[in-house]
Amino acid sequence: MMRAAISTGPARRVSVRSLARVFVRSLFLQAAWNPRGMQNLGFADAIAPALADLYPDPARRAEAVARHLEFFNCHPYLAAAILGGAVRLEERVANGEASPQEVSSFKSALGPPFAALGDGFFWLALRPVAALAAAATQPILGMGCVAVFLVLYNAVHLPVRLWLFTTGYLRAEGVVEAVARAHMSSGTPFLKACGAALAGAVAARGVLDARLAAGTFDALLVAATIVLAWATLPRLGATRAVYIAFGLGFLFGARLA
Amino acid sequence: MLPLPPGGAAHLFFLAAVAALVGGLSAIERKGALQLMLSRPIVLAPILGWALGDARGGLVLGVPLELLFLGGVNLGGSLPDNESLLAGALTAMVVPAGIAAGTGVDAPLAALGLALLLPLALFGRRLERAAEELNSRLMDEAVRRASRGDPSAARVNLRGLLLPFGAAAGICALGVLVSPVLALARAKCRAIELFALAESWHLGWAVAAACAVRAIRDPRAPALAAVCALTVIVITLAFRGAG
Repeated sequence: MMRAAISTGPARRVSVRSLARVFVRSLFLQAAWNPRGMQNLGFADAIAPALADLYPDPARRAEAVARHLEFFNCHPYLAAAILGGAVRLEERVANGEASPQEVSSFKSALGPPFAALGDGFFWLALRPVAALAAAATQPILGMGCVAVFLVLYNAVHLPVRLWLFTTGYLRAEGVVEAVARAHMSSGTPFLKACGAALAGAVAARGVLDARLAAGTFDALLVAATIVLAWATLPRLGATRAVYIAFGLGFLFGARLA
Repeated sequence: MLPLPPGGAAHLFFLAAVAALVGGLSAIERKGALQLMLSRPIVLAPILGWALGDARGGLVLGVPLELLFLGGVNLGGSLPDNESLLAGALTAMVVPAGIAAGTGVDAPLAALGLALLLPLALFGRRLERAAEELNSRLMDEAVRRASRGDPSAARVNLRGLLLPFGAAAGICALGVLVSPVLALARAKCRAIELFALAESWHLGWAVAAACAVRAIRDPRAPALAAVCALTVIVITLAFRGAG
């Protein structure tokens, strides 16, 4: 499909090999994340192989690189779609069918909404669910729980990232419609519900482990700590809550010993 | 005399080099490269534990750390605590200490290690912020080179990985090198202190579980988690017997 798109595309086009290199470099998008340009360096570095195909003249290529050093920020996975789309638009620019400003507008228009989509789906839903599934299965699977986490997460993450890049390249502005049809945001509430249930199972495991190790009083102490910590975490923060729990645990432990 | 792992001081330095390599790679994987989640505590701690001689011990540390930092998210310019640095340093210190003490990673040792190193997560966040500020210089350099007509100006991007790698590698190596002190502290503990430390670990685990519930940012999450927790407890007790 990609080959067909390339063969029917404009005169100056990016080779499949260069597209693959752009994708691989997109995995380093945040290597030099900085507060002023955010992912700009990573973006410019990632798109460089495509620019090398499109602008044989080093001076014009340097100009194109300079354009991509403008501010850019997105979710690192969803940015693959914008990167693919930017490559397609750069082909149009190289063939005189579009202005460089269109590439810039495309990037700045899609960055924030795609960032919100990626944050909500990957960081706030998929990753917690995969980690909680691993934590919940640890007593049964032992070290196998590490594979549970990595497989659950990356079986979604890697294909989605590749699909976003390919779709971005093939459809440019049409990537918005394709991403909207992927229903990423509609899957998020279901994932979060799974995450909540798994978090409950993990909490229960803590209580049961304490009962097994030190008896019913200890189990009740752990259960009370979970509830109290949940209620006070927003004010205390995790670090302080852990130290308080450690202190209480030490005192109770010393008295019970 | 400080307790050392089998192989003595030479082996300890070898383990420090291993921890430096794994810890350094995890630091760049966390944000700068790939992001396959290999640097999450639940993955990093068992892998580093395996490299240091006790994968199971690494997992004992990795699971509660994962839960504790489950809600930390890097949104835009905001930075979460650096869970990977803590997981790397804690594993680097506790696993060799457990081997040297002959106890493995048990609850008292894990509690002692975490109590000592927990502020490292916050320190890691500050370190990351400093690295990002330095990356601004790389950006300036790239802009300068591009304006002079250098088409490979953006290649400086990868130099942004050096500082996170170096800092994490150094901290993890240091963790291994001070592990005999932790092993000695563990060996000197009396029975009452060991029991108290084990109790601390249980309650620390409880806070981690509470953090996991908080990490699910959904108004239904607390109720769903409570129902599920009660169901699991009731079913387990019914099968095992409540006595």
